[in-house]
Amino acid sequence: MIELKNLTKKYDEFLAVDHLDLKIETGEFFGLLGPNGAGKTTTIGMLSTLLLPTEGEIYIDGERLTRNSTKLKRKISVITQEYSMRQDMTMDEIMEYQGRLYYMPLKKIRERSEELLDFCDLLKYRKRTVRKLSGGMKRKLMLCRALLTEPEILLLDEPTAGMDALSRRQMWNLLKKLNGQNLTILLTTHYMEEAENLCGRVGLMNGGKLEEINTPKNMITDLGRYAVDSMTEDGMTSQFFKEKEDAIAYLSGLQEEASLRSTTLEDVFLERIGKRL
Amino acid sequence: MGIVTVLWEKWVEFRRDFYKITLAAMVAPLLYILVFGMGIQTLSHGQSYLNYIIPGVVALTTMNGSFNAIAQNLNVQRLYEKAFDQVMISPTPLWQFVAGQIIGGSLRGLYAGFVIILLVTPIGTKLCFNGWSVLIMFLNGAVFSTIGVLVSFYAKNHADVPRFSNYVIMPMAYLCNTFFSSESMPHGLREFIEYLPLSQTSSMMRSIANREGFSYRGILVLVAYLVVGSIGAFWFLYKKKNL
Repeated sequence: MIELKNLTKKYDEFLAVDHLDLKIETGEFFGLLGPNGAGKTTTIGMLSTLLLPTEGEIYIDGERLTRNSTKLKRKISVITQEYSMRQDMTMDEIMEYQGRLYYMPLKKIRERSEELLDFCDLLKYRKRTVRKLSGGMKRKLMLCRALLTEPEILLLDEPTAGMDALSRRQMWNLLKKLNGQNLTILLTTHYMEEAENLCGRVGLMNGGKLEEINTPKNMITDLGRYAVDSMTEDGMTSQFFKEKEDAIAYLSGLQEEASLRSTTLEDVFLERIGKRL
Repeated sequence: MGIVTVLWEKWVEFRRDFYKITLAAMVAPLLYILVFGMGIQTLSHGQSYLNYIIPGVVALTTMNGSFNAIAQNLNVQRLYEKAFDQVMISPTPLWQFVAGQIIGGSLRGLYAGFVIILLVTPIGTKLCFNGWSVLIMFLNGAVFSTIGVLVSFYAKNHADVPRFSNYVIMPMAYLCNTFFSSESMPHGLREFIEYLPLSQTSSMMRSIANREGFSYRGILVLVAYLVVGSIGAFWFLYKKKNL
């Protein structure tokens, strides 16, 4: 279990994360959503010990996480927003370096690397240096590297940014499968569809504060499962309804071009946070 | 174990860039020896100037070899590639990472020093390089690797490392008992320069090369620099809030 208690991060006078309290259960798939600058990456940064909190603590399975926590750090793998790899190393070297940093036996590093690179369709590029890989390939390699060490907790900071639609779907399937094997996952993403598909619970962050935690389904139900989009002079507006009949009645009364659809997590995000930006 | 991981990483780098590293280690020192030692033929301290500068050039080569192997590389990993983040996240104890960098950097400095010793051997200078010379070269490399680690950690952008090199490393290369004795320096400046690590290394290397024996105080000074520098690097890694 991951527990954040009163977690706060200040950069000089700027409050990036504001007294965050959060519990993520073992085996849970949790999503942190928020606009740019909401504090998501800073939170991941503190969880990966790259940043130290100004106030508050992080507990993993009841033990306090610090930069010295060798035992706890063994359980965690992180996919950062940036590529965070040596550009002059080959894929094989990247994997071996990671395995060595996590004290894995060489034989196991080689076997698992081959398995993972093969799964991600990267095996034929294994001798290629990172510098010569496409953005999507680098992302896949980062995933392979993170999974090499068989973590119990996976922190993902926008892991599918820059990936094509097919690779993204493959990544989703893999993450779902891993979560099914009791891997705890914390994901930050700008893709609401991604969070809606993958996460059991999501937290909406804004201005460093966690404003709401719920399941995507409950958030959508609270807003209204039916959305009517209409084009007005001010642009497109959406109205939300709990009952389909109410939505249809509203739609039939409209003069302008309009359509009925199911509400998505993106609507929730735009309603709760987007309108205040 | 973490130390071995860093040494493995350094080995991968060395194996891949072997020719570049070797050539880079040779060019400047050979120019110094050719221009000052063989081109301008003169005597210094009762011996040929070439014999005088070779130990100094070996000392400065280990300094440059070690500092350059660590500072720029680690700086790029930290600020540009962000590859350093993975080390911070990993369970490898951070002190082992720093120790690995220091040892790896010292070995690179030692390698550069050996290349120069090997190249001047055919000149027949009859200078002596023994086990003590190797230890001193290693220690000197360790000190400058530590300085390299510190500079790369405290650098705020990519230009900071070359800047430090220009303001600190290059003046040291010329002033620290390498090309001329610090005894001729004005009072005050002389004492300051004599306590710089490269001055100590040059003096000890020269004394050994001339079979005169050396003062162990120099080793203590180098160890002191190493300890203080390492504490600075550990402090940064364990206590700095934003890396």
